[in-house]
Amino acid sequence: MILSRWSLLLCVVAAALFAPLYLGPFWLSLLMQILIFGLLALSVELLLGHIGLFSVCQAAFFAVSAYTVAILQVKYGQPTIVAVPAGMGAAIILSLIYGIAVRTSGVYFILVTIALGHVFWGISWTWVSFTNGEGGITNVPAPAVGSLVITSHSSYYYIVLAVVALCVLGYRTLTRSPFGLTLRGIRESESRMRGLGYNIAAHKYTAFVLAGTLSGIAGLLYIYFNRFVSPANAEFFLSIEVALMVLVGGTGTILGPFIGSAIMLGLRNYVSAYIDQWMIVMGLIFIVTMLWTPDGVLGVIRSLGIRGKTSHNQPGHRTRTPEEGK
Amino acid sequence: MNWILQALNGFSLGALLFLLASGFTLTFGLARVVNMAHGMYYLLGGYIGLSVLRFTGNFWLALLAGGFSIAILNYFVDRYLIRRTGENHLAQVLLTVGIVLILSDIALTIWGGDSLSLPPPAFARGPIELPGNIFYPKYRFLLIVFGAIIGAVLWILYKKTQIGAIVRAGVEDREMVNAMGINIDRLFTLVFALAGFLAGMSGVAGGAFLSLYPGAEWEILILALVVVIVGGLGSLEGAMVGSVIVGLVDAYARWLLPEFSHFAVFAPMAVLLLFRPQGLFGKEA
Repeated sequence: MILSRWSLLLCVVAAALFAPLYLGPFWLSLLMQILIFGLLALSVELLLGHIGLFSVCQAAFFAVSAYTVAILQVKYGQPTIVAVPAGMGAAIILSLIYGIAVRTSGVYFILVTIALGHVFWGISWTWVSFTNGEGGITNVPAPAVGSLVITSHSSYYYIVLAVVALCVLGYRTLTRSPFGLTLRGIRESESRMRGLGYNIAAHKYTAFVLAGTLSGIAGLLYIYFNRFVSPANAEFFLSIEVALMVLVGGTGTILGPFIGSAIMLGLRNYVSAYIDQWMIVMGLIFIVTMLWTPDGVLGVIRSLGIRGKTSHNQPGHRTRTPEEGK
Repeated sequence: MNWILQALNGFSLGALLFLLASGFTLTFGLARVVNMAHGMYYLLGGYIGLSVLRFTGNFWLALLAGGFSIAILNYFVDRYLIRRTGENHLAQVLLTVGIVLILSDIALTIWGGDSLSLPPPAFARGPIELPGNIFYPKYRFLLIVFGAIIGAVLWILYKKTQIGAIVRAGVEDREMVNAMGINIDRLFTLVFALAGFLAGMSGVAGGAFLSLYPGAEWEILILALVVVIVGGLGSLEGAMVGSVIVGLVDAYARWLLPEFSHFAVFAPMAVLLLFRPQGLFGKEA
């Protein structure tokens, strides 16, 4: 089991490293999207899988860093080296502000984050003089450090891959640390953790800001991939779609969000090539996932008997609502 | 002068939001269901009302058709889809979003992507003169009256009748009501149908002064969510007070801070989150 796991990982790493050699431009760009949106989905997973908070405003953090980079580069002619940290900072600041949402829990948290996400969308839509409104910001230049300009798709792919890999490693370390354990403790029983002397509010707030930061990193990768940002990138709908990716893949793992992202984006590319009604198909995916496979693809694989070791300290594979934990 | 006009604008938007938010909040209060399809119900009710109006020319018939068709729809959605999710709110949210996607694509095919609006009935066209020499669109004024009447009816139904007492008891403790020999299932059905009816009707009423277009389902839903967050989830009084607050803030923001009007309504929500996260009339979360 251990051996096959490592060899599998090795295969995946090799496949990812040599992807530009055997994938055409279309598939390579799809792979980049899968990685970027998988990272965004991972930020949802951080809150959902570990504290049981379902955030529907991750698109706002994603879009704020993308917008910051686009505005600094296009309107103010700042170099990448200035724009990227600024974009990162913008995502962190916005998540520090939106962090008030963790004062609520359960359904309230869902509703409040929907509304907060909508506020950012509203700003990107109505503040035309700054964000160009509906048209968005186009012609974002390729990322450049000094004289080194990354123009080709395949070299940018390696940047995406490296950043995503680093984030995944960081995420893994974080969720296995005492901090991650405390988060899962809060998900299981808030009152008991409070009784043990943990500062619940501070932990929730920190996790929220970390998730916002992760979404911001995904936004940074996205803007240099897409070279264009519009209010559509801040929509409620993107946040919901990303949450669905997590559930389609299966919560409780790092791999789940990426699998979900691959399934959703792959399906969209496949289905929309044949029929116009992608929305209906997508609606059906939502309904089918919720009614019949609430544990996602990984959950289905697990129940088929290819069972990985799940000790008590691992993130649980079941989605819990906070009410259940009390 | 303008202050009063804007207040009237706020009250009329508030009346509309109340129709939508009251159904949402009652369904949550009793059945613990978050139904994100309410915005779509509004739009679909409006579209159905529009078609009925074009066919028959009768506004009241359109209002009833919009209401009843959505009541039936919500009955089936609850019975065969939402009920299967148990009390998992996350699943409810995503499930109902899926329903919205399917319905909105169907609506797009039938009614197209253009912005449509219902002509107000003949008796409600033109301006009305209010005391103090104020001229105001008659339709919007009547909408305020209509909203107030519906609010009063709901309040009496909720507070003064036996059914209301059972519903209130159900909000407090569902198992206990069931143990008293009351069929709580039938009560759920009733509340879901009522919520659907109100949402569908609000679409017809709203379609005559806001226009109906693809995407309107999310915009109105988010306003209704803010109403519910401000007022407190599950509380009828909360929906009343919340919709008036959101309506007024929206109207004054459009007038005084037009650039920020899109998100000014979220300000009371943010303030409330800091001081009273459970909403004005909500119970301790």
